[in-house]
Amino acid sequence: MKRAALTLLCLAAASAQVPYERIVNAAREPQNWLTYWGDYSAIRHRTLDQINTSNIRDMRLEWVFQTGQTGAFETVPLVVDGVMYLTAPEGYAFAVDARGGRQLWSYKYPIPAGEKLCCGTINRGLAILGDRLYQVTPNAHLIALDSRTGALIWDSEIAPSSQYYGGTLAPLAVKDKIVVGVAGGEWGIRGLIDAFDAATGKRAWRFWAIPGPGEPGHETWSGDSWKNGGAPTWMTGTYDPDLNLIYWGVGNPGPDLSGDVRKGDNLYSCSLVALDADTGKLKWHFQFTPHDTHDWDANETPMLLNLKWKGRDRKVVAQANRNGFFYLLDRTNGEFLMAKAFARQSWAAGFDEKGRPKPLPNIEPTEQGVRLCPGVAGAANWMAPSYNPATGWFYFPVREQCDVYYAEPPVFVLGKPYWGSTGRAVSDEKEWGLLKALDPVTGETKWDFRYFRAPWGGTMSTSGGLIFSGDEDGYFMAFDARTGKNLWKMSTGMAIKTAPITYMVAGRQYVTMPSGGVLLTFALPERTEPEAKKPAKLADQAPPRKPSSRRIE
Amino acid sequence: MRITLLFLLPLAVYAQSDAGIAQGRAAFRGNCAFCHGLNAQGGRGPNLVSAPLHHGDTDSDLKNSIKNGIPGTPMPAFSGFGDDELDHLVKFLRSLSGAAAPKTTLSGDAKAGRDVYEKNGCAGCHRIGLSGSVFGPDLTRIGAARPVEYLRESIVKPSADIAPEWEGVTVVDNAGKRTTGVRINEDTFTLQLRTMAQKFASFSKQELRTLSYEKKSLMPAYEKLAPADLDNLLAYLATLAGGAGNTVVKEVETRR
Ligand code: HEC
Ligand code: HEC
Repeated sequence: MKRAALTLLCLAAASAQVPYERIVNAAREPQNWLTYWGDYSAIRHRTLDQINTSNIRDMRLEWVFQTGQTGAFETVPLVVDGVMYLTAPEGYAFAVDARGGRQLWSYKYPIPAGEKLCCGTINRGLAILGDRLYQVTPNAHLIALDSRTGALIWDSEIAPSSQYYGGTLAPLAVKDKIVVGVAGGEWGIRGLIDAFDAATGKRAWRFWAIPGPGEPGHETWSGDSWKNGGAPTWMTGTYDPDLNLIYWGVGNPGPDLSGDVRKGDNLYSCSLVALDADTGKLKWHFQFTPHDTHDWDANETPMLLNLKWKGRDRKVVAQANRNGFFYLLDRTNGEFLMAKAFARQSWAAGFDEKGRPKPLPNIEPTEQGVRLCPGVAGAANWMAPSYNPATGWFYFPVREQCDVYYAEPPVFVLGKPYWGSTGRAVSDEKEWGLLKALDPVTGETKWDFRYFRAPWGGTMSTSGGLIFSGDEDGYFMAFDARTGKNLWKMSTGMAIKTAPITYMVAGRQYVTMPSGGVLLTFALPERTEPEAKKPAKLADQAPPRKPSSRRIE
Repeated sequence: MRITLLFLLPLAVYAQSDAGIAQGRAAFRGNCAFCHGLNAQGGRGPNLVSAPLHHGDTDSDLKNSIKNGIPGTPMPAFSGFGDDELDHLVKFLRSLSGAAAPKTTLSGDAKAGRDVYEKNGCAGCHRIGLSGSVFGPDLTRIGAARPVEYLRESIVKPSADIAPEWEGVTVVDNAGKRTTGVRINEDTFTLQLRTMAQKFASFSKQELRTLSYEKKSLMPAYEKLAPADLDNLLAYLATLAGGAGNTVVKEVETRR
């Protein structure tokens, strides 16, 4: 038995572990989690149903992996054939046994001492391609690691951290390239999206999220404002292999709350851009919030869905935007189909037929402060939504929180936040949160589950009829996808800042939720497994077995 | 304190400039006015311009209070502020008071005020040093932490300003039992109150028939207090500037 297993292992090792084709077909292997989003479309739905609405009440903690790191734990682990790969703050990457949480290797990126970091050391996860893992570092480098050992293979600078470029996102592996974006929007960077050759670490193409002189869109920035205009690209995009287009959200223009120094629409800030995956050339763009002055980045998940819309099959991209509206666009050409408010909003009167918002009066931040909904953190943010094909609904966390927006004439100084505001005044105004199920075709709410605080946790959907999510009080929860009924919960003791995943190893389904400095993995008790249903007497007669011997069988 | 958590967002930053006062005002409005009032005359924090300061009066004392906060009190540390921001803030505060602005004086008799405090059952809900109840806010440092006008309002019209951490909540459970207390914690599924009996009470929201937030303070309004008694009481409260809450806890521990 043992020898046979070894031979098999050797054979497997001979070919690259995760070729591009496997990622394209990621939905066909629900036992794995191959990209940040689970697949290229970001629906975050898995066709696993061992854990389902009727047995979820028995789900319990199976193992815990301690990263030893504090700070927001925003990673989404990958799972490939029984091995889990994750990142943690301070440049850490780990490989652990997905069944038991035992560490297989660890890596720490040596952040150079004294390095300027715009955005701390949080990290959202890895990309895998072939036998390599790709990780973005806090000082805006892209590194390649050997997935079998954690050894560093190459290290390429995306953009100089001396200019306060930073990196927090999980890379996107497409064909033979690794695509990344940058953080640092509050520090006067000029946003960009880069693709690197996966083999060599050489830059393959660059898309400037703010067009330079002579390029279309450049005229949407007054004077020299484009040079420090922000437009960061700090969340992972999605990819349509048939159209060969990458969809990437672009953040807000800087200075954030003072628009006078950057008159114009400020393209491609607060936009979704569709780029040719081979060349990085812009195919189309859609700007959600022209000339934004409320920090409403458009980095939220661009989810790719195929829907019947007004009687026609449409390839759409759906986004619950930070500005409080749920959007549907045709993803072949960027055509605006629909925008519908999903949270309290007090800034837009409506939209023209192209999807350009009609702003209400008196929404600009002032010296005295202007109260507006949504608040600076947005009604939605980077927390992942999910889509359940059985219900046809879109599930996402909503932040019901408003703010008083202050503006102050900004002066750009390298190394200081280019914020254009006095910061956010505290107030007693109550915030709350919702887990919302929405029909993406109509934008109508199907159900809401109310959280006490505005959440930062994403969602996941399964064929077990379940939606999983976490809230700001640290509850990890499972809901009935149809009714919104809370079926299971556990208090993890720390606010949840990312989305859960699910996977399967050796016939057992697991659910993983990072919280605080630990990775919590849940499963049904082993006794409910078919294997354990062998006649009780036989099991009684068998000599006591060590847990390890059972695993080798 | 939940309030301080909201300061994680990037704070105001400006280039060097002579017009520091305007920048200081802006920074003050965005970061400090919520507690100290728009003109720094106090609110949920002390008066910074026309009352004696407890942590030093020099520019560098002020900067130290701002940059490092005042440990054990709600005054947060603004460690992200650079020298220029601190300069602007101090310039702004000085522009309001002028170095020689008159300090508020109180007419009441603090000793007599102590009797008023005792006679009116304040200690049944409040604590000064190690004596009294933990139901309401600890008043050990209240004279350093609030302007007199705020204290006056707190006694006569306590519902006028209630900090979220002192919000009263009333619940009725499925058996019809009613409980009122100060909210210690609330989350999506549970609620923990501190009752008048100084006990914790824990609730699962599923087991509650109703949960309501009190608009009124859980402190009775002392509207009928004689003016002289009120002045004396205020004079007494103004003298309270003892060790911060956490110091008291330490004392208790060393006594064991
Ligand atoms: C959450 C409420 C809160 C905020 C916000 C706040 N303060 Fe305070 N501050 C306090 C309290 C309460 C005290 C009194 C502490 C004590 O001594 O008990 C205080 C004390 C001070 C003191 C010392 C006063 C003395 O008696 O020596 C200074 C100076 C000060 N604050 C300045 C500021 C400035 C400037 C800001 C904004 C940058 C600010 N504070 C923001 C609550 C706050
Ligand atoms: C039944 C309980 C109760 C009694 C009796 C009571 N208080 Fe209070 N007090 C509270 C509670 C609860 C709060 C917090 C809610 C609020 O701000 O009104 C409070 C708030 C205060 C505050 C504001 C504290 C702050 O941090 O800003 C002051 C000052 C105060 N009380 C003084 C008094 C004095 C003086 C008396 C006696 C004359 C008194 N209280 C009697 C319960 C009580």
